[in-house]
Amino acid sequence: MVVVERKELSLAEKLYLPEVLRGLSLTLRRIFEPRVTRQYPEEPLPKDEVTRGQPRLVVNPDATVRCVSCGLCEAACPAYAITIDGHETERFIEREPERFEIDMLRCILCGFCEEACPKEAIFMSDELELADFTRQAHVYDLERLKRPVAALQKRIDYVHGINERWRTSSST
Amino acid sequence: MPMPLIWLLKAALIYGGLLLTAAIMTLAERKVSAWIQFRHGPNRVGPFGLLQPVADGVKLFFKEEVVPAGANRWMFRIAPALAAIPAMLTVAVIPFGGQIAEVEGRPVYLSVADLDIGVLYVLALAGLGVYGVILGGWSSNSKYSLLGGLRASAQMVSYELSLILAVLAVVAVSGSLDLRAIVAGQAHLASWNVWSQPVAFVLFVICGFAETNRHPFDFAECEPELVGGFHTEYSSMRFALYFLGEYCAMTVMACLTTTLFLGGPSVPFWAGAPWWIGSFAFLLKMSCFLFLFLWVRWTLPRFRFDQLMNLGWKVFLPVALANILVTGLVISLGGGA
Repeated sequence: MVVVERKELSLAEKLYLPEVLRGLSLTLRRIFEPRVTRQYPEEPLPKDEVTRGQPRLVVNPDATVRCVSCGLCEAACPAYAITIDGHETERFIEREPERFEIDMLRCILCGFCEEACPKEAIFMSDELELADFTRQAHVYDLERLKRPVAALQKRIDYVHGINERWRTSSST
Repeated sequence: MPMPLIWLLKAALIYGGLLLTAAIMTLAERKVSAWIQFRHGPNRVGPFGLLQPVADGVKLFFKEEVVPAGANRWMFRIAPALAAIPAMLTVAVIPFGGQIAEVEGRPVYLSVADLDIGVLYVLALAGLGVYGVILGGWSSNSKYSLLGGLRASAQMVSYELSLILAVLAVVAVSGSLDLRAIVAGQAHLASWNVWSQPVAFVLFVICGFAETNRHPFDFAECEPELVGGFHTEYSSMRFALYFLGEYCAMTVMACLTTTLFLGGPSVPFWAGAPWWIGSFAFLLKMSCFLFLFLWVRWTLPRFRFDQLMNLGWKVFLPVALANILVTGLVISLGGGA
């Protein structure tokens, strides 16, 4: 059996007022301490290369898209969010996308397109904010998906590192 | 300027000020609670969230007004007004400043009404405030509301006694029921009633918390046990009216504390200060008390109801009576106030 000893209160504690003042001084000091709330739209969320945001298409420094519209990401996409139409081109890569759409309402940010891409043309960016007034506005076309290499470089390096680790690890 | 116009102007100024203070208090409550809990508080509507009370008011106006089935409709509708009006009327006799002008040979003071029995008037109206709460609780036809109303009335009635006895000690020291005379007796920092009546001061402040149903004595609401207490069933602007009444009552209580114990508009170390500096000093003292109301609310836990009643009847009442006795003895033995 557990016997809980009732604590004998001192006179100051019984009077209650000194304890009230102690409590008040505690809360008053809290007022001058820094706030912990993040003011979200003004203070963005911390992001790094591990953040798997919305997929974006890489644009080379010479303003060409890396994508050859092979359709592998379209096939890999479990949410059927990607639609690609391509056409032939005189450039060395021979094909380029004519229409490249990702329905961001369907996209589940899984990153399979990034893994599937043989040309390192599509990467998961750190862009996460998705708000608009119509469903149509959430279907991103080629122009809205384009990002310069520099903007995605951290993620590209990160993916390279992952691939390197897979390549060099011993197979069992 | 004719006298009636001046009365109207003063009434508009003071009542506008009171409602503005109540509106600011709703924001201040949320801000102070936020600061104590390491948060920012409302800061989206206007600079520093200053327009938040306007947004809240607009929102509440557009809410549907629900009268519960089985409620006593008339009582249900009148009760919020009965709670808010006495609190607002009380402010009429508070002397916010000294003489501001002289019109037709009569001095004009910065208060709506200049009653000889100001203290009596305030206490009488404070006693009426309980009707709004108990009627609102009873007419809602809800057990939570009824219990909230019952508790609130029991609490307000029992604490009013100690409150009045605390004020009585001040009246004995000042020798007058006129709030302006009580203020006049506290012209210097050393003559403030808080020094001659410290026990009455503490009693008055604590009973003031109980009288306005504020933490740690907010049994009228008591969210964990009674949902929302007496205003559980209220919605829309009637709900807001209860809150307006509560914040007005707080403001009036802060004004009264300032007037009775802290010299009202008297400025420390500056006897001949112009009236507007005096009024500013009054507002400053009042604001400190309003902050105390908020500060205490976000610090202390609520009492248990039996503890509250014990405290009221077994501690505060004897202490208040003893205080009156000692004050009376000192005055009669020392040869008058």
